[in-house]
Amino acid sequence: MKEPLFGAFDGAKPDEHYVGPIQRIDAPMRHYPRGEAVDFVVVGVGSAGGVLIQRLAKAGFSVVGLEAGPFWDTERDWVSDEAGSHGLYWNDLRIIGGSDPLALGANNSGKGVGGGSVHWAGFTPRLHPSDFRVRSDDGVAVDWPISYDDLKPYYELMEREIPVAGPTYYPWGDPHGYSYAPHPLGGVSQTLVRGCTRLGIPVVAGGPVAINSGSHGSRPHCIYRGFCIQGCKVGAKQSTLVSHVPDAIRHGAELRDKCMVARINLGKDGRVTGVTYYDEHGQEQEQRASVVIVSGYAIETPRLLLNSACPGFEQGLANSSGTLGKYLMAQIGNVVFGRFDDLVRMYKAPPANALTEEFYETDPRNDFVRGYAIQTVGPLPISFAQHMMVAQGAWGWGLRRTMMDYNHWSALGVLGEILPWEDNTVTLADVRDGFGLPVARVTFNLHENDHKIAQAGVQKTEEIMRAAGATEVTQEPRYAHLVGGARMGADASDSVVNSFGRTWDIPNLYVCDGSILPTQGSANPGLTIQALAARTADYLISERENAAAPTAATRIPVRYSLSPSEVAGRGMPRLKSRRPTTFGAGALGPGSRG
Amino acid sequence: MKTHDTRSQSSQSSQSGQSGQASQMSQQGDAERIGGVEVERLPRDPRTGQALAPRMQPGYYPGFSTLSQQSFWDEATRAVVLKRVNQPPPITFFDADEARVMQTVCDRVLPQDDRAPDRRIPILNTIDERLASGRINGYRYADMPPDPQAYRLAIKGIEAIAQSMGATTFTELNLRQQDLTLKSLHDGHPIAGDEYWRQMNARRFWLMLVSDCAGAYYAHPWAWDEIGFGGPAYPRGYMRLRDGQPEPWEKVEHRYEWEAPPESLSDTMESLSDTPEASSFTPGTH
Repeated sequence: MKEPLFGAFDGAKPDEHYVGPIQRIDAPMRHYPRGEAVDFVVVGVGSAGGVLIQRLAKAGFSVVGLEAGPFWDTERDWVSDEAGSHGLYWNDLRIIGGSDPLALGANNSGKGVGGGSVHWAGFTPRLHPSDFRVRSDDGVAVDWPISYDDLKPYYELMEREIPVAGPTYYPWGDPHGYSYAPHPLGGVSQTLVRGCTRLGIPVVAGGPVAINSGSHGSRPHCIYRGFCIQGCKVGAKQSTLVSHVPDAIRHGAELRDKCMVARINLGKDGRVTGVTYYDEHGQEQEQRASVVIVSGYAIETPRLLLNSACPGFEQGLANSSGTLGKYLMAQIGNVVFGRFDDLVRMYKAPPANALTEEFYETDPRNDFVRGYAIQTVGPLPISFAQHMMVAQGAWGWGLRRTMMDYNHWSALGVLGEILPWEDNTVTLADVRDGFGLPVARVTFNLHENDHKIAQAGVQKTEEIMRAAGATEVTQEPRYAHLVGGARMGADASDSVVNSFGRTWDIPNLYVCDGSILPTQGSANPGLTIQALAARTADYLISERENAAAPTAATRIPVRYSLSPSEVAGRGMPRLKSRRPTTFGAGALGPGSRG
Repeated sequence: MKTHDTRSQSSQSSQSGQSGQASQMSQQGDAERIGGVEVERLPRDPRTGQALAPRMQPGYYPGFSTLSQQSFWDEATRAVVLKRVNQPPPITFFDADEARVMQTVCDRVLPQDDRAPDRRIPILNTIDERLASGRINGYRYADMPPDPQAYRLAIKGIEAIAQSMGATTFTELNLRQQDLTLKSLHDGHPIAGDEYWRQMNARRFWLMLVSDCAGAYYAHPWAWDEIGFGGPAYPRGYMRLRDGQPEPWEKVEHRYEWEAPPESLSDTMESLSDTPEASSFTPGTH
């Protein structure tokens, strides 16, 4: 067949804004008068910011979201092409150093509405209960100021809103199940399942991933084209651009794209008054707000707070503890490649598909604490060539030869916990960006426990790859994700924010994004970031409702009614749990009784 | 027809624009040629030792054409890919001498001598366009100058190595010497030109150079055809996900044996995973 049966497919439509092929931004954007203060200004509309503006707007507050990148029309702006997707990433200059410099840009930094959720592969495991108490259990790092049980209802809620597809029974951490069916296996997931099964290692396949296995609201199901980290044109993979931003606009949030926030302004009363930003024409503007929430992720958030230093906060806004910009984390992300005699064709199916968390927890037999997960990845040709440039040292004819065998290779990723270290930092470089703002300098050093986890993870993954039948195995060191840099804690002396993201120093300044994570486990951080955002939104709403009777809010109700409308009525499989089941009888929100 | 010929016109010498004298021309003109390519540059049949003639489409998927599927792609993707094929950007960043050296460097880092001269993929133009437009990947190592400066320094360093080997310029070196020069960057120990290489980390430059070359080559539909990659897949998607099965419009594999030209050093690979510069230049994975 040379042509589609009924002629060419539709493309972008002039004067209409689409996020995904059938979801149109159907409400006119509200515009708050310039010069007028709003209830909330959110800096950065990514994984956390998208959830925040949706909830706060739906709860009836005036909200402005400022996003440095564009508000994508996915039909017009996104392509099914690796090189053509360069614009999805935060490509602006940052300086990287330390003993183990972190590659940024496409590796972990998004720019544009949806932020990193636009280019994540979409793995959505929860943190394990043990992740919240590594100081108590393992004597390293810090405990979280909250427990798994505090976050569990928000994990469940976001898994429905995203929605997450995955197995009915997920055996690790706090065992649970997923309401959307797991995805079919592709060549790479077959590798992991076969290798693990032969070695007797438990493994799950088909999720948990933030990819629709059935249509959901105005978002179609996955078509298995494999371009997940190039931005999902299908709209099947969740980004807040497709899951929450349309609902935010419908409820009156104003989203201003291509707006770069330069600084947060502090009033004489010790409260912030709003932000100063450069609009899309490069004009300096001010937006006043009752509350400022910074959601710029692990590098831009500390950078903005450092760039907002002012009398009283010479070392950076909200940095009385001196911890701002410290304890930055990435995860061990080594990729193990295996060549098979048979074809794999790893470009098909979502790269994020199967995983095992069997080696996630501290094992007393190891000479290190904490652990790692093993997950499928599926690099497209350019990435694969660049991986092999390191893993094999391939260039010239050798690179051409390896690439001609592209379809014979499979790839599995280690995802290992790196502990938070004080010397892994975001500081200001002596280089300035186009707006004259100092850019971030990111310093990263691996420590002994991190090295040992990487080594153990690579060894186990190579074992699995060989058991699966690979005849040649090689690996490449690398890192995945970013968190920390403005960590939460129970004590104002060694953290920047409390568990709701409120800065200890300034009562109406919040941080809500991956930067507030004090530790990270071996779970991809996307789900946790969105769950924390929903929790912070509930807190902010409760706080305002209780403003008339300012008793310290001891219990913040979970506001199920704030889910985007298409979520209501979706089911959750109910598993018996050792832990309190939040979705027990009577706890479900209106319309949620599937 | 005529228009088609112009469209696929992308021989290396024409791509380098103002550089004019591409690497092939700089070698002596009387060498034996097959299909317009000097024999010493061609891969061999390992059984006979005979040079393999250049192909319209090297690789193990004869007849596979991603471009033949373009009516199944979405509009935006089609526009981006066709522009890449039909309108290689002009050389504006490198001057004529720099472009001549860089063209030869690209020809060794990503050799295309097994491709028919009119089926070669523009690499230098893509690198030049990136540097001219100031596009970066979102970071710079603290021990590296800005990318455009790094390329200019490296060209000086490479020329210094060529001069240490008795030539006036890199393009005059024989194939073995050219590969030796580049291999010394891969190894992180440039043979000569210390005054340039001490201003940056040579291996980091090497990784950027190979990344840029691979990024240009494997972005091209002819390279997708070569390796059997399905290319753009929206809105049609894939249906045959398991066991490496081809879609109805994809091809099965037909392998042939080949070995690199005898003078080349680039087919023996030494992993860089244990080097301090290994941390990746690649996009996210998981």
